[in-house]
Formats: sequence, structure tokens, C-alpha cells
Amino acid sequence: MEFPEDLKYTKEHEWARLEGDGRVRIGITDYAQDALGDVVYVDVPEAGTAVAASQPFTEVESTKSVSDVYSPVTGTIVERNALLDEHPELVNDAPYGDGWIVVVQPADPAELEALLDAAAYRGFVEQVES
Amino acid sequence: MVAETLKHSPLEEEHLALGAKVGPFAGWAMPIEYAGAVSEHRAVRERVGLFDLTHLGKVDVTGPGALGMLQRVVTGDLSKTEVGHALYNLVLNDRGGIVEDLIVYRLGDDRYFVVPNAANAVRVLRMLEEEKALGPLHLMYHQDWCFLAVQGPRSVEVTGKVLTGASELEFMRCTETEYRRRPVILTRSGYTGEVGFELFTYQDIAVELWHDLLEAGSPFDIQPCGLAARDVLRLEMGYALYGQDLSEDRTPLEAGLSWTLALDKPSGFRGRDAVLRQQREGIPGRLRGLLMADRRHIPRAHCQVFDRNRRVGEVTSGTFSPTLQRGIALAYLRPEMDLGAALEVEIRGRRGSAQIVRPPFVDRSPR
Repeated sequence: MEFPEDLKYTKEHEWARLEGDGRVRIGITDYAQDALGDVVYVDVPEAGTAVAASQPFTEVESTKSVSDVYSPVTGTIVERNALLDEHPELVNDAPYGDGWIVVVQPADPAELEALLDAAAYRGFVEQVES
Repeated sequence: MVAETLKHSPLEEEHLALGAKVGPFAGWAMPIEYAGAVSEHRAVRERVGLFDLTHLGKVDVTGPGALGMLQRVVTGDLSKTEVGHALYNLVLNDRGGIVEDLIVYRLGDDRYFVVPNAANAVRVLRMLEEEKALGPLHLMYHQDWCFLAVQGPRSVEVTGKVLTGASELEFMRCTETEYRRRPVILTRSGYTGEVGFELFTYQDIAVELWHDLLEAGSPFDIQPCGLAARDVLRLEMGYALYGQDLSEDRTPLEAGLSWTLALDKPSGFRGRDAVLRQQREGIPGRLRGLLMADRRHIPRAHCQVFDRNRRVGEVTSGTFSPTLQRGIALAYLRPEMDLGAALEVEIRGRRGSAQIVRPPFVDRSPR
């Protein structure tokens, strides 16, 4: 299971990456995709949609269940991963890469500071699993 | 983590070594998935998959009293089932509600082999114990047996390499063969819609048998498959699952299983009068197939079904069909809802368009 060092994490198993332009790329973690099983549908919201920190903004559906995805930050979606419309399995194959879900323009980039770092998230997952 | 009270398959170590997610299922710790339900589904539809189904019940009913006793418990007419043949049956309560669905295999003149669902095995055993018999009979509940299934278009080659008698076996037939000098009950049956075999034998040789089947299947890229893939496969065929689509609150007429009823067999069977009464009075609902119009809408159990603003039924099983790339479901609908009708399924607050179709949803056959 991977926990890339350059990401921030939520306890709901999303990751957030601060990009050079101050925007935040969001997806679900390796742990989350593994727990869900084969993803068959991602309801990727349109650009322009407002999202709020710790609030669900979309759903990821696998063969066996559906799971809410929570936004790590408050802001506005500026980019959506249209590849997931036809290839939802990318969430399983590359959760931190081509399986990203949206890019958000954050209202307050400092919000990222409050999220878990890789070590803290790994610890959280290990605690959940034990 | 798996609770200590769960029963364990003799193959659990093999499953864990293959990276399976093992989870609770009907009181057992069983493999839910290995590589993932979608790729396992594809293996069974296109090549071959291997399942551990040891959680299912395995009961021998033997003796001169066996046939007469079974006839009064199950809905089918076993007197017409020849040695080496199998029959799908229901077991009903006195109200005509479905207590169980099971296959009865006839292994000999006075020898039957019954495979109930895991959750119902003990209850079925009690019914078999309590039903009056006119001749002597023995019940043997094989708790020390395992149950493997080889399913998919290449299952004939794979099973035939490991067990003699496999390649000649026709659909819904059974035979006794052997493996490492232990008896094996081998049947041409399954729950996937593909050609397939089911194997019952002693647990002490389960690991060797599992490995031999995997090795025999390696030229065909055989995949171990979990219960998640099995559920998708059976739902694509429209096969009802006990506990979801079948229950004591539903009758065979409602479930679309009237073909399992031998209403005129001389022994009768439990629940027959209630079924006849419902046949006269009409059914409150009928199990139907629903095909969603848009791949975004994946129906799940308990989703409500609407005809415009009128609620007309409820989904009992729903999933995403990898074959069709669309959501499919089984739902109990008001009886006047006809094939082809356009309805809506409410999925987490939103409506998705659906059409009533006649299962199987996919064009496959286990024959």
C-alpha cells in the first residue's frame, strides 16, 4: 500500500496535492480504492461546482458498494477528470496518478496544513486495520 | 478482522497467500475477491475461474425411505429424476413462503445429495430430520467436506485433466469419481451461467485439489474467484439469491419459480395448498429484471421503483454488469407491470430510467 510523501490526507481516505499554481488536485487513496474493490462508476462533478471541506462532493461506486468522497478543502472545482467517465478503473490502477478526480481552486490554501501528512495517515490506516 | 466465531475453509491459507480479501459470509470466513470482481468476472465469462464454496451445506440422504421423505419436503418431483441427474427445488413453509432453494442430486437408487445454502443448511437439516419417513433412511451432514467450483468455457478441459468423468458429463448431471483415492461427487452445474463443474470431497485433500486445478487451468489463465464475482455472474443470469431475492415472505409464483413446482405429484409437498390458493387469488408482486438506461445509475437492494409518481416495487438485488456496462437489478414489481415497461429506480435520492426485461440479462448458457 502506497502513501506518497508529497500528499496530504483526510481521515475519510482522500488525498490532496498542492500544485505549483496554488490549486489542489484531489483523489481517493490507495487504501480507499483497495477497500472499495473494482470501481465501476465515478460521478465526477462539473467544473464550477463549489465544494466544502469535510463535505461529500461526489460518489465512487464499486461492484459491491458506493462511497462518498469528501473534499479536503473549501473552494471551487476548476478541472474534472473526464477520463473517469469511460475508465473508472483508473481509480484502482493509479489512485494517485491518472485516477485523480478533480482539481479545486481553494478559498484558503492554509486549510491544507490541517490535513494529515503521509506518516500520520499511514498510522491512521494501521489503527483502522488493527 | 475476522471474528473468532466464524467457520473457516480448509483453503483459507491458500486464499490469503493469493491476496484474497477474506470476509464474513453466512457465518463463514470466505474469499470475497482476489484480483477484483471485474477481472474475476471476465475470467469466468471468457476462460475459467475457480471458486471455494465450502460454506454451502452438503447433506447425504440415503436409504429406502429417502425418496418418499424428500418428496414431501421439496417442490419438484424427484421420482422422475434418474440416477445421475439433478433437480433444482424449493422448500416452502405452510404459507407457501420460500424457506430454501436447493439442488438435489440423485447418486444412486436410494441415494440423494442435497446442497442447501450456507445460512439455511442447519434449518434444512432439521426439516429433513423431522419429516416423517415410511422407510429407513440416514442423513449425513458432511461438515468435513469441501466444495469447489470450476466455471467458464474452459472448465471442461481443466476439470477433465484432474478428474475422470468430467468431459462426458452433461448439464445438470452428476457422477461419483475419485481424487487421491477419496470419493468426489462431481456435478455439471453452477451459478454463473457458464459451463461449469462443482466438486465435493473431503477437506483433507482440499489444498492438493485446489493446487491441481489451478495448475491444470494455468494454460487458460485460470483465476481464483471470490463471492463478489459470483454475485455479479449470477445476477447477470437473473438467478435469484436466497436471503435477497427469495425469502419466506415470497412464494414461488411471486419469484417466477412456478416451474419448480410439481403440483400434481401424489405425495404433495409442504406449502402446496397455499400456492394453489395464491394461484386462484393472484399475486401481490412478481420478481422482474430491470435494465438501467444509463451506466451512471447502479441500482442496489432496497431501492424503490416508480411508475411516474406511483411506487410499484422494490429492488432485491442490483449491481453493475461488466458485460453490459450498465446497472441491472431484480425487483419485486406490482403484477400489472409488463415486460418492456419504462420505470424509474430511485438511487440515493435521484431517479434513473429502467426498463423491465426478461432475464438472463446476458446472452450466456450453462448447457
